[in-house]
Amino acid sequence: MSGTFLGMPPFPEAAKAALADAQLRHNLAHATSTIRAKRAGVVAEVADWEDLRTRAATIKDEVLAHLDGYLNELEAALTAAGATVHRAADADEACRIVGDIAAAHQATEVVKVKSMATQEIGLNEALAARGIRAWETDLAELIVQLADDLPSHILVPAIHRNRAEVREIFRTHMAQAGRAAPEDLSDRPADLAAAARIHLREKFLRARVAVSGANFAVADTGTLVVVESEGNGRMCLTLPEVLISVVGIEKLVPTFAELDVFLRLLPRSSTGERMNPYTSMWTGVTPGDGPQEVHVVLLDNGRRRVLADPVGRQALRCIRCSACLNVCPVYERTGGHAYGSVYPGPIGAILNPLLKGVGTDPQIDSLPYASSLCGACSEVCPVKIDFPEVLVHLRSQVVDAHRGDRIPKPEALVFRAVGATFASGGRLASAERVNGFAGRLLARLGTARMPGGRHTTGSLPGPGAAWTGARDLPAPPPESFRQWWARAGASGASGPEDVAPQPHSPHTQTYAAPPPLSGDALLQRFVDRVRDYRATVDVCRSGDLAAYVREALGHAGRVVVPDELGLDLGERGVPDHALTATDLDEIDAVVTRAAVGIAETGTIVLDHGSGQGRRALSLVPDLHVCVVRADQVVPDVPDALSRLDPTRPMTWISGPSATSDIELERVEGVHGPRTLHVVLVVN
Amino acid sequence: MGSVRVALMVTCVNDAMFPETGKAVVTLLRRLGVDVDFPAEQTCCGQPMINTGYLDEAISAVRAFAGAFEGYDAIVTPSGSCAGCVRHQHAIVARRAGDPRLTAALERTSPRTYELSEFLVDVLGVVDVGAYFPHRVTYHPTCHSLRMLGVGDRPTRLLSAVRGLSLVDLPAAEQCCGFGGTFAVKNADVSVAMASDKARHVRETGAEVLVAGDNSCLMNIGGLLSRQRAGVRIMHLAEVLAATEGASA
Repeated sequence: MSGTFLGMPPFPEAAKAALADAQLRHNLAHATSTIRAKRAGVVAEVADWEDLRTRAATIKDEVLAHLDGYLNELEAALTAAGATVHRAADADEACRIVGDIAAAHQATEVVKVKSMATQEIGLNEALAARGIRAWETDLAELIVQLADDLPSHILVPAIHRNRAEVREIFRTHMAQAGRAAPEDLSDRPADLAAAARIHLREKFLRARVAVSGANFAVADTGTLVVVESEGNGRMCLTLPEVLISVVGIEKLVPTFAELDVFLRLLPRSSTGERMNPYTSMWTGVTPGDGPQEVHVVLLDNGRRRVLADPVGRQALRCIRCSACLNVCPVYERTGGHAYGSVYPGPIGAILNPLLKGVGTDPQIDSLPYASSLCGACSEVCPVKIDFPEVLVHLRSQVVDAHRGDRIPKPEALVFRAVGATFASGGRLASAERVNGFAGRLLARLGTARMPGGRHTTGSLPGPGAAWTGARDLPAPPPESFRQWWARAGASGASGPEDVAPQPHSPHTQTYAAPPPLSGDALLQRFVDRVRDYRATVDVCRSGDLAAYVREALGHAGRVVVPDELGLDLGERGVPDHALTATDLDEIDAVVTRAAVGIAETGTIVLDHGSGQGRRALSLVPDLHVCVVRADQVVPDVPDALSRLDPTRPMTWISGPSATSDIELERVEGVHGPRTLHVVLVVN
Repeated sequence: MGSVRVALMVTCVNDAMFPETGKAVVTLLRRLGVDVDFPAEQTCCGQPMINTGYLDEAISAVRAFAGAFEGYDAIVTPSGSCAGCVRHQHAIVARRAGDPRLTAALERTSPRTYELSEFLVDVLGVVDVGAYFPHRVTYHPTCHSLRMLGVGDRPTRLLSAVRGLSLVDLPAAEQCCGFGGTFAVKNADVSVAMASDKARHVRETGAEVLVAGDNSCLMNIGGLLSRQRAGVRIMHLAEVLAATEGASA
């Protein structure tokens, strides 16, 4: 599909069909208003939110201004870390690279993490043409793929489906793709998510090649970052032998420390959470842990065309959070399909025309006009994209592309005439006399009156019907303002007055950041925030740790424990001696240490160092008991980043795996451990 | 302090379609002691052309603007949208025209252009303008006044000070009404869907009068309310603020 859906009509036509779909309207209104409210709540908690947005925009602009330098730095760091870097100029080249790697491993299937870049290039279709099945593993993407449907939202691609439809899709199509849905499948989101867990588990355990995108790529360290909720991402990034990541060249962040800004902005803007359940970071190949063959495909596919546009360039700051979709009054009513692309909503209205160029495809050319320019998108955009500015700029490009047309559009003739009328007050006055004549005529014809007494024009012909089809239009007044002024207005002047207007400064808000927490308040915040994610938290003294861990493990039969933990669990303890993913699937629980705990977001970070095991250990078993020391707890994301080594693989965990892909009802436990139990050790 | 020159930028929509709004601004400012002038060479800020992509076609209007308002200390307009265009978009047109003298002229006019509520609150320093309007009113904050200009609570502070007026909150007030200039006809179906929700929220308030700072948005919402026989009247903020006891609009 290469970014745009083939054969889509221009936006107004597609929107008309979408508006007639009552189920879609209902789902969208519910979904967007729910996410909007969640976002507003967590954004209000961040005192320096406006600062963060400004910093994010500045960092992205710096990357874009020196893109080639940063790309070379990234490539060098990745190569040094054992990864193979490829550069793809367009969709075809990127698909060919991925297909060649998969074919070299005789793979007939790949598992996929939800990725906008791979949707943009139409990777699944390209792989299918080579006989390779690409399995989408995000719940919403699975629904869309099984139904042979199209995504309609960046974050919740099946937002247009309700639970009953999802059940039908699972019952009808799952069997052809692998393990069938249970006969008695209900339409409860939790049951639907459980069916997806079982269906996909065999694919995760079997697949040898995985394909992902990346939310961020850190230039100076070569670290890639994937932000997700369900744990399907961790599965794909950890279990297969070969990992191929397709990364847009705009995804760069200069340094590891600067990730801080984006890790605080993205989850809040996107799902309305302080932190998403899982964030994975990896730097090339880690011996003995995760994929041992790592490829990174750096994708252009029109991005350099965007970069060359001085106004449009800011669209490359986008971090695909979809906040602009959720506040957009147009998107809320039409849904994503009307935009005819994997990038819908305000970002789609600017990104698609920028990536492809305007002037040739009426569908693309209609997108910059799919906005009332209300600016709600810019207000929430975490990287401060000025959408109205870019939209208006693109509209002028669309108009300019048609200036040479042999037969100008009627609209162009109208604006030419209007422009000429507005050249002087005198010309406008003449036009208004005609207007006033029409108004007096309409009043005499006795058209309907509006509240307040004005006559209406009645139904207008031609393009005017687009207004009067559903809305009354007031008839022109008999006398324009300037006629009144000339006749009577100017004479009523009073004397000079005594004010001295000053050119105004922009209205700005100032924010005061509260002091960071410490001591007991810090630990209490950590405990509260981890519990907010409905993870269990115990606080104990070090002498009692073994007892607390045993209690947390409950009836778990087999428990894997990294050797360094020195925890004797008797018969049920299993050492990690080269357990395969299939072996781990037979194990009930895992106990690990952590590297850092983040109070503000309720996050624990594993860097898979001593006592934390390799990544698969804390991923496949269903219960994760995690031991965090009080001195490991820090106030917020920047403090955590400063303690972490970017070259280590990392898993950031904020509560158990979760999905809200079906009617935005939160279901806990999809692919990662369904239960997270944190034991905080204080002395 | 010597006398300052204040100009009314009435806007093309108000000039041709809503002259009562322009008259109300004149009445209100004179009542507050401001000697307001109407430069007759003014036409349109150029926004209809600019926002549809016709930048060349906007040059003549922007040139007329620069000529008409040269030399004034303050340019007051009863439209958040047109004020937004003057302050944020005129520079784009000047660049397109490639005319440094026009650019220089607009650098003088742009920062001196005030939306009505900004002029009243920030420049004149008044909140109570001595108005009387004994009606139940709800206020729609128009997108450009809210987001391009950032007028904030100035309009509602002004309305709250009007004697007799009862101000009711509008649900989902900050969502666009669907006007959007040529959007209203290019994407008429989406525009009407947006206006329908706005009209529904207006009806939910039980207000007699819907007030806003932009007549174009009011024309959209009001057009739908009228078609629905909702019995809600639309009025520009200026007309409410100009109303006094005995001379109520």
